Formats: sequence, structure tokens, C-alpha cells
Amino acid sequence: MSSITASPSHKKSTAGPDERVGKKSTLSILLGRPEIGALVGAVALFIFFAIVAPVFLSPASLATVLYGASTIGIMAVGVSLLMIGGEFDLSTGVAVISSALSASLISWYFGLNVWVGVVLALIVSLLIGFINGIILIKTKLPSFIVTLASFLMLTGLNLGLTRAIGGSVSSPSIADMEGFQSAKAVFASSVNVAGIDVKVTVFIWLAMVIIASWILLRTKIGNWIFAIGGDEKAARAVGVPVVRTKIGLFMAVGFCGWVLGMHNLFAFDAVQSGEGIGNEFLYIIAAVIGGCLLTGGYGSAIGGAIGAFIFGMANKGIVYAEWNPDWFKFFLGLMLLLATVVNIVVKKRAESSK
Amino acid sequence: MKTRKNKKTEEQLEKLEPKTSDNLLTLKGVGKHYGSIIALRGVDMVVDPGKVTCVLGDNGAGKSTLIKIIAGLHQHDEGEFNLHGSAIKLKSPRVALDAGIAAVYQDLAVVPLMPIWRNFFLGSELTTGVGPFKKLDVQKMKDITKQELSDMGIDLRDVEQPIGQLSGGERQCVAIARAVYFGAKVLILDEPTAALGVKQSGVVLRYILQARDRGLGVIFITHNPHHAYPVGDSFLLLKRGRSIGYYSKAEITVEELTAQMAGGAELAELAHELEQLGGHDEELAEAEAGAST
Amino acid sequence: MGKPTWRKLALTLAIVPALGLAACSSTGGRAPEPESNGGGGAVATTERIKVAVITHAAPGDTFWDIIRKGAEEAAAKDNVELQYLSDPDGGRQSQLIEQAIDQGVDGIAVTLAKPDAMKGSLKKATDAGIPIVSLNAGEDRFKELGVFAHFGSNEQLAGEAAGEKLKEAGLKKPICVIQEQGHVGLEARCAGVKKVVPGTEVLYVQGTDMTQVESTATAKLQADKQADAIIGLGAPFTMTLLKAKATANSKVEVASFDMNSQLVQEITKGNVLFTVDQQPWLQGYMAVDALWQNYRGGFTIGGGQATLTGPAIVDKTVAEKITSFAEEGVR
Repeated sequence: MSSITASPSHKKSTAGPDERVGKKSTLSILLGRPEIGALVGAVALFIFFAIVAPVFLSPASLATVLYGASTIGIMAVGVSLLMIGGEFDLSTGVAVISSALSASLISWYFGLNVWVGVVLALIVSLLIGFINGIILIKTKLPSFIVTLASFLMLTGLNLGLTRAIGGSVSSPSIADMEGFQSAKAVFASSVNVAGIDVKVTVFIWLAMVIIASWILLRTKIGNWIFAIGGDEKAARAVGVPVVRTKIGLFMAVGFCGWVLGMHNLFAFDAVQSGEGIGNEFLYIIAAVIGGCLLTGGYGSAIGGAIGAFIFGMANKGIVYAEWNPDWFKFFLGLMLLLATVVNIVVKKRAESSK
Repeated sequence: MKTRKNKKTEEQLEKLEPKTSDNLLTLKGVGKHYGSIIALRGVDMVVDPGKVTCVLGDNGAGKSTLIKIIAGLHQHDEGEFNLHGSAIKLKSPRVALDAGIAAVYQDLAVVPLMPIWRNFFLGSELTTGVGPFKKLDVQKMKDITKQELSDMGIDLRDVEQPIGQLSGGERQCVAIARAVYFGAKVLILDEPTAALGVKQSGVVLRYILQARDRGLGVIFITHNPHHAYPVGDSFLLLKRGRSIGYYSKAEITVEELTAQMAGGAELAELAHELEQLGGHDEELAEAEAGAST
Repeated sequence: MGKPTWRKLALTLAIVPALGLAACSSTGGRAPEPESNGGGGAVATTERIKVAVITHAAPGDTFWDIIRKGAEEAAAKDNVELQYLSDPDGGRQSQLIEQAIDQGVDGIAVTLAKPDAMKGSLKKATDAGIPIVSLNAGEDRFKELGVFAHFGSNEQLAGEAAGEKLKEAGLKKPICVIQEQGHVGLEARCAGVKKVVPGTEVLYVQGTDMTQVESTATAKLQADKQADAIIGLGAPFTMTLLKAKATANSKVEVASFDMNSQLVQEITKGNVLFTVDQQPWLQGYMAVDALWQNYRGGFTIGGGQATLTGPAIVDKTVAEKITSFAEEGVR
């Protein structure tokens, strides 16, 4: 504060406490959180399937639903953060496979301990994120376009390099290589919880959600992410390092892709080089259902997790309910639409009741 | 205290020790062009602590360009820009902030969806803890925000609400309070009253005076001479990128200021035109009254 | 920031080779090129001709690798310059045919997954005097499109053969897992199985995401306790179904279509009951060879009928015999 102290006359306020700002009840605070609509949607969907398909409630089924949710959820964490920061990444689906292929092909071709491949794949994934970010900054094109281009390039690289190095469209098996079993234990094993085998991805997913939420809500960087997504010009004007934060966000998405890629590799050994296409939209859907605004500046990592959970429930629930499989995709779309509508309705209610 | 400064700007700022005889901020013959468009040319201005300098001009006069240069968003192409007597070229808003120059923009540089306290500390967040476990000191930031705003006269029970929910005038005040808190020595206000009603404008003008009384040098940009005159100590008039006058309060009256800005000649011409068209007695009388002052 | 960086660099340079030595894997990895039993022999003495093989393969499908291997071996033997192209979109596949015509190829081999889309370009080819054969898909339409021979396996028949084998094993409620909803060939296979085993149920999974294939199949096995078998329509997918079976603690029998070396191993181990092989290597090989035969002496093989390359049931006894071929990638 400057050395000149403000004289008492300047401390007068225009009126008493601002009577327009009422006291908020805990409930309305809760209702104002971005995840609340998604949570209500998730609960509704859960109850629905529990009624329609009793097997849904069995612990083994829940474990399966969580697994299906976790493989979307791991990516949804990164994609949610990026969306809050105001950008999209359409290359996420294939980037996961690129990571898996990097680890597999490098280890296989050079006869290395698989863990070396794992580390190099991490570098590759972070690099892909970094490049996405740099191109975005330099070209000033919308992230939609930049990452669409990288999506196409990665798709081609996945196919071309796999065939060139491994000789076929599927990467060669590395199950007999050193390090595979230990890597599998880390990335693709199951943990026994009260008699049920829960895949390790579920725990990795939850840990990532907790860390991401902490970063978002309790660190400087989180504040910057909200600001950049909400109003990039304003953020820049007050000195927020926009470039570094954006590139960091893309690299965070790359990191998530690495985690999921490693799971894919050690769970299924041979990686189909054409996989991954189409998943990028599922991650975005999970983030949006979870309350992240498409325009940025609002949302949460927990919301993205709930969105992934909704997707997992809808996807598997349809199977548990044994509905006609021809209508599968229709039901899935309908469930997602309903979950989103519930989200919006709850949010509107929360806002008007304040 | 508040602003975190990085090592580079510390080094740069070490050279800028205040010399008693120099003004806080001086512009001499400053100019800026974008490609072939000359946005600003030959502008002189002095800003002193505890004084309000008004920059007046219609749209397209070059006011935005001027602020952007002072606030570090752009760099000037010609002339001298001195801070505490030493020439300086501000490379980014961060550097400007570290040098004590804070700007409050028309669009306010606040993020509407974010809570007030997060906006208040944006770019200068307070943290506790060490290393990777550094986290935001949320309670402290909320307390300080509340305190600072109440010092400026806004009492908000809830600084958690999104700043977008405040009225225009309140948002201006939060932005000003933010600049004052973070040790701004020069405060630039870019058309703060442009979108406000009469009462709200009055509130903002009062805050300008408060900031002035705290020892800041205030640069008040506006196109409304009736807002500028009561609070200003000196007045810079811009038109189409050039200065058409730089007066202290003693040298000019509010009517002269208005006439200079509106362009006395243009008003006379307008009156003549209306006379020729006929039948617009009221408008005519007004125009004549304006032209004759 | 000068000196510390140099020290760090030196340290890294010292550590890296040490890590490198520890990093090598003594097992697995790329092996030296295996001796192939085919190719490398005498090459035909006929003039070198150009043949284009244009399929509807979606990028990344391992099945087509085998067809390609067969085509390449025939090309090597017959002194043929082979161009291998594909596009799953009917319109674009048709354009590839026209490009081949423009390039003046001596023969075209196509897959007729969408025969109507090919009509126009195939007519142009026959008008230009270019002989055409088809493979893999289209055995009911090839004649009318001016194609003189077809090499493939009828998907419906393949499904029925699978159904027969399941019936033999006393299985009444199989789940037929389709990895691409709407894919005509895959749907035909399951339809064939269902014809023989009416209790068959179809399950759609997202083939582009293996983790979803696994979790959806697991869910189905958990939900449907009546099922006694599960069928995958592609070797990689069957491998995933094995995992789903384990996760769901299910007792279903696993069967498959198509093959790769891992699947053959699972059959020999008894984990997979059988697979229906349409011998795709033969499809690729015969297609190219038939065009060469046509060039050599105007021969048209098949007598106007489709030449079937399958279905060939590969169960435990057969699997043991062909393990090395599967490893080579020809089966």
C-alpha cells in the first residue's frame, strides 16, 4: 500500500451493507456448482437402470460400468481442463493410440525393456500436446481446426508407421518382452475390492480427478485456466501467462492420452493402428454433460468425471437391460440428451432461485 | 506486499529510481502507426502523483492507442516515454504492472464468470505452502477483497458471486480497487463512465477522486467533457491521432473544453444546414447556442 | 546459467549408456526375418504386367493384411507389378478404379461390397478391354458387372458353417459380437449363425475402442446368464472376448471368425473352440493369379461361378498343423 494513508473521510461508504445481495443458503450454493446438473442426471440414470435391469446393481456390474466409465473418464479429465481454458482438442482419440503404438513399436523394434518404451511414449504424448499448443498460438487459428489437422496427421502416422515398422496394421505382440508383466501390473491389472475385481484404471481415474480438481480450484494455475477460458483478453491484460498456460493444458491432455494409451497397450498387447477414431467426441460430450461450457471459463474436473460415469452407465446399462441391440445407438444418444437436459434444467433452477 | 515481480522486471525497474525533479510519467512527441495507418502522432503529456490528467476526444481520436502504449499492450514507434525520468518501452502488460502502471479498460479486464475475489487477485494470486503443494490462500484473498472493496465504499457480503452479476458501476469500482490495491502508481481509466447512467457515473467519479487522494497519478480517458472537468487537473485533447490542445484547469473553462471537443466550426456549419432545410426551430436553437459559446 | 548446465549434461551423458544397457530386453522383440516357405523361387518369364487390387478395406483392419500378403506373393511369382489400394467408401473406391483405368493397368481385382457404386467404373474398364476379377465380396453380383471370376467366401455360408459347428458342440445360445453396426458382411455372418442356431443373439460393440469392446462384452456376459457361447467376428476382437470372459467369470465357449497367429495359439490351447477361416490369403493370391492366367492365355477360371476359398473350420487339430503359417502371417 502506498505510504499515504487514506484519510478517514474517504473511508465512508455510500450506504450500509448492500441490501441487494441477500445471504445465500448452503443449498443454493450447492445448486450453483457446475457439477450439480450432471450429478442429478447421473442419479436419475442410475435409478432408472437399477429398476429396469436388476443385474445393474450387482457389484460385478458396477465394476464393469466403472471400467467403461474410467476409459472415457481418464481423457475427460484433461479435455475438461482444456475446455474450461477455452480450447478443443479433436486429436485426443487417435493420440491415445499414437502413444500406445510408440511404446510398443519402439520397444519391439529396438528390443528394449518395455519400460523404456513407456517413458519414450510419455515424451511423444507430451510432444504432441506441445505441438498442438504451439501451432495454435502461432497460427491463431481456432483450436478446432488445428487439432482436426493433427487428428488427420496422427491417424495417418498411426497407420503408416505401424505398417512400415511392424509389417502389419496391428502392432506386434510384446507380451514376451522384459518389463511387460510389471508394466501390466501398473497400467492394466485389477484390484480386488471386497471380493470384486475392479480394474486399476478406475483408481487411476479417480486419482486424476482429485489432482485436476485441486489444480483447478486451489492453485494459481487453476485461476489462470478459468480466466483464459472466460475472457482471454482480460487475462492477458492483467498479466496472466496465456501462452504458457494454454500449451500446458494441451500437454496435460497429452499426459492423459499417455495414461490411457499405456492401459490399452498392456491390456490388449497388440494395438490396432486404426483405433481411437471417434472417441474424441465422447470425451468432449463427457465434459459438456459434466457442466463444462463449450465456450470456456466454466466447469469442473469432477463434472467431467460425472459425465464419463453417465456415459458408462448409459452404454453398459443398455446391455444389462437387454434391449434390442439394433436400437443401441439411438438409446445411447437419447440417454445422453436426457442427461444434458436435466443438467440444464437444474442449472436454470439454481440460477433463478438465487 | 502484493504484486509478484519476475527477476527481469526487477532488474529493469532498479534503474527507475524516482528523481525528485522529474514527473512520474512523461510523454514527449509519442507516435504509433499500424502498417500505413498513423494512429497517434506528436503527443505530449505529463502525469504527476495526486493529479488527474484527462484525455478527451471523439471516437477515432487515438485515445485507445495512447492507453495501450502506456499500459504495455503496444510499444510506441516514435517519441519518448519516460517513467520517473528514464526512458522506457513496456514490453507487456505484466511489465507495465510491475512498473506500477495499472489500466482499467472499457471492457474492464474482468472475467464475468469468475467470482469477485478470483478476479481481484487474477495474475497476482496469494499462495501458501511450498513447492508443488503451493495452494491458493483462499480465505486471505477473500478477506482482503472484502476489505479493499469496503474501503472504496462497496460492501459485499459475498465476494464469491460471479463478477458478471454486479452492475457496471460496481464492476468499475472493483477494477479500480484492484489497481489501487496492487500498488499502482499510475492508474489509467479507459472511458469508465461511457456506459453508465448519471448516478453510477457520479459514483465512479468519486472513486477517481479517492484514488487521486491516495497519491496515484490518474489518467482519465473520456469523450464527455462534463465528466472530465470536475475531476481533472489537466486536459489533453486528441483529434484524429494528434493533440489539438493541452491545458491545465486554470487555463480553460468547461464550455471552452466542450466547444473545442465538439468542434465549434462543425456546430456552426450544422446550424447553417438546419436553417436551410427549415422547420427545425428547436434543433436550430440548440445548435446555435452550442456554436456561439 | 552457464556452468551448472555443463555439469548436468556431463552427468546425463555418463548415465545414459548405463541406462541403455539395462534397457535392452533379452526376450521378445523384433526377430530376424523368418524363412518364408513361399516366394523367392523362380519368377514367371512372361512380360511384366500391371495389376491393381482395389478393396473396401478400412484402414487398420488386420484381415486385409492377409489378403494383401497373398496378392503380393502371387505378384512376385507372376512378374506382376502390384498396386494395392483401398477405401471403405463406395464412391471413393469407384474413383480408385477409374484412376487405375487411366493409368492403363493390365488387370483389376476389386471387392464388391457395394456393387452398385462400382457399376459405372467397371463398365468403363470392360469397355477399355481391361480384364476384371473380384474377391472377398460380391459373389452374387459379379457376373452381371462384367467380372469374369470371383474368389471369396460367402459370409452367410461361413456363418452357417459356424452354426453347424456350434450345434455339434451342443451350444444353443451363442452371442454374436459385431464390432461395426451396419457392416453388411458382419451382419451376414451372424445371420448365418442364427439360421442354424435360432437362439443366437447379436451384441454390438464399438470396434474403434477396445476397452469399450471389453467392458460391453463383460456387461453382456454378466447380464445374460443363459448364454453358452460367444463369437467374435475378427481375431483381435476374439482375443478381447477371452478377457471379458475372464472378467465376468463366465463359462461360455468362445468361437471366432478369421485368424491371426495369437488366435491359432488360443485354439491349440483349447481356449477357443474353433474359428471360421475364409482363407483370405487365397483370395488375394487367386485374384492376382487369375488375371495373370488371363494374360498368359486368355484363360477364365471358375466357369462363371464363384470360386470359394472358404469357409474352412480351424479347430484344435487343424490349428496345430498351421501354427507356423499363422505366425508367418499367411493364415
